[in-house]
Amino acid sequence: MTTNALPVQTQPPPKTQAQLIYEQQQRAQRQFTLSVGISWGILFLLLGFLFSGVQFTLGPLSLKTIRVDMTFVREWAPFIAEGASTTIGISALSILLATLLALLAALGRLSRIPAVYAVSTFYVSLIRGTPLFLQVIFFFLALPQLGIILPGLWAGVLALGLNYGAYMSEIFRAGILSVSKGQREAALALGMTYDQMMRRVILPQALRFAIPPTGNEFIAMLKDSALVSATGFVHEILWRAQKVGRSNFRNLEALIIAAVFYWVMTLVFTALQARLEKYMARGDR
Amino acid sequence: MTPIVKLTHLDKYFGRLHVLKDISLEVQPQEVVCLIGRSGSGKSTLLRCINFLEEPSAGTVEVDGLAVPAGVRGQTHNQMVHDIRIRTGMVFQEFNLFPHLSVMENIVEAPVIVKGMPKAQAVALGEKFLGKVGLLHKRDEYPNRLSGGQKQRVAIARALAMEPKVMLFDEPTSALDPELIGEVLEVMKQLAREGTTMVVVTHEMSFANEVANRVIYMDEGQIVEQGPPERIFTAPSDLRTQQFLDRVLVKDVMLLLQKDSPQNRTS
Repeated sequence: MTTNALPVQTQPPPKTQAQLIYEQQQRAQRQFTLSVGISWGILFLLLGFLFSGVQFTLGPLSLKTIRVDMTFVREWAPFIAEGASTTIGISALSILLATLLALLAALGRLSRIPAVYAVSTFYVSLIRGTPLFLQVIFFFLALPQLGIILPGLWAGVLALGLNYGAYMSEIFRAGILSVSKGQREAALALGMTYDQMMRRVILPQALRFAIPPTGNEFIAMLKDSALVSATGFVHEILWRAQKVGRSNFRNLEALIIAAVFYWVMTLVFTALQARLEKYMARGDR
Repeated sequence: MTPIVKLTHLDKYFGRLHVLKDISLEVQPQEVVCLIGRSGSGKSTLLRCINFLEEPSAGTVEVDGLAVPAGVRGQTHNQMVHDIRIRTGMVFQEFNLFPHLSVMENIVEAPVIVKGMPKAQAVALGEKFLGKVGLLHKRDEYPNRLSGGQKQRVAIARALAMEPKVMLFDEPTSALDPELIGEVLEVMKQLAREGTTMVVVTHEMSFANEVANRVIYMDEGQIVEQGPPERIFTAPSDLRTQQFLDRVLVKDVMLLLQKDSPQNRTS
């Protein structure tokens, strides 16, 4: 055995088969991601071309793309964009209300007390059995007849919150049921009451489970909040787009601007959501 | 001497299934009782009736002088069940540690929440019992970072921190990899030496033989035979006990042989 080897140029050790296969898989994955990215780019260009206003003839074929009034866009885009904060605000308030209601409804649905169970299932059934749009205008148009006048914003938040709460109660119910029976038994065996078990053991675990799907609901809410524009008093994105579109006879342009803002918001929040999910999934199991 | 646990004419039905048939049993202070038997013989159900994780269908459960009759409902009943649960500690097959809490938080949770103990006092208690199970250095880890054996030792410390009158073990080593069983049994042996009253449902016959004051063989919801391990394991009087022991002991011997086989000795 030689202990004092001469300093030789160290060569990287030959790659193992596992490494080679792994690298091959990585390459394939990168290739796929790149191709998808390029295809998205092409689709964007096509969409842009569709609205470019270019006209040309190819022999007998005459092509005419949609013309967008860019002066209008430049003039009014900032006004419509200002509605984004209202859209996000309504959605955030509504999701807060919805989360609270969903949690109560889920607990009610799991209750052994008949009245509590009934109230919970009744609420969910009523809300899910009627259109969201009807609910939004109901709170704004029907309640004043009973002497209850809600500002448009609050009517909207109430309607959206009640509606999403009913749908989201399933998320919370699933979250609570996802906590194993063993956790309940451990809590009970330690002498906890039902309330203590729920608050200290079951709900903390159930809420972790429910956070990513709640994020998804928020993204859906961003778009459904557009229904509140029907009240005419909440100056969110769609309301603004309709207002300037109608008064200038530029509905096409106005609605395209609104669509772009909704889409961008969705993309941004979806990216945030993906991060959140990654973060919530770390460790565990 | 008043018994710590006293079951009188206990019956339990799951639907139409009669899983416990007129069980009467007393566990004396500092006694270690091992329940053995085939799966489905009712031994786990019997254990779970002691702290009302299963509600007995008939009979009376008495723990530390507090007698609770079966089949009663209502607020006083709930209160009595609660009082019994405070007097009993339970260790589960699947550990059931709270995954969202650290090791120390798992242990102080019940003393603080259930007993209203000041946090500092509970932590001191937690340190004492974590030290006892040899895991004080893991106090800030989360359960998912522990091995099965470590999880079960934390679960034991968690139950001990409520300072129960009796510890109930429901197949505490059945979910463990074979090489991790020893560390859990070691902790349990130590508890037995210190005079902890224990009721243990187990398949570890060598543990029962070494530690139990009394071994109870159950079959079809009944206590078939009971007595000191020397007698049960060497001269069982009932044929069913004999057959059961023949089968499990042969398995134990096979495992021992495997462990000592030449392939395992030389690596």
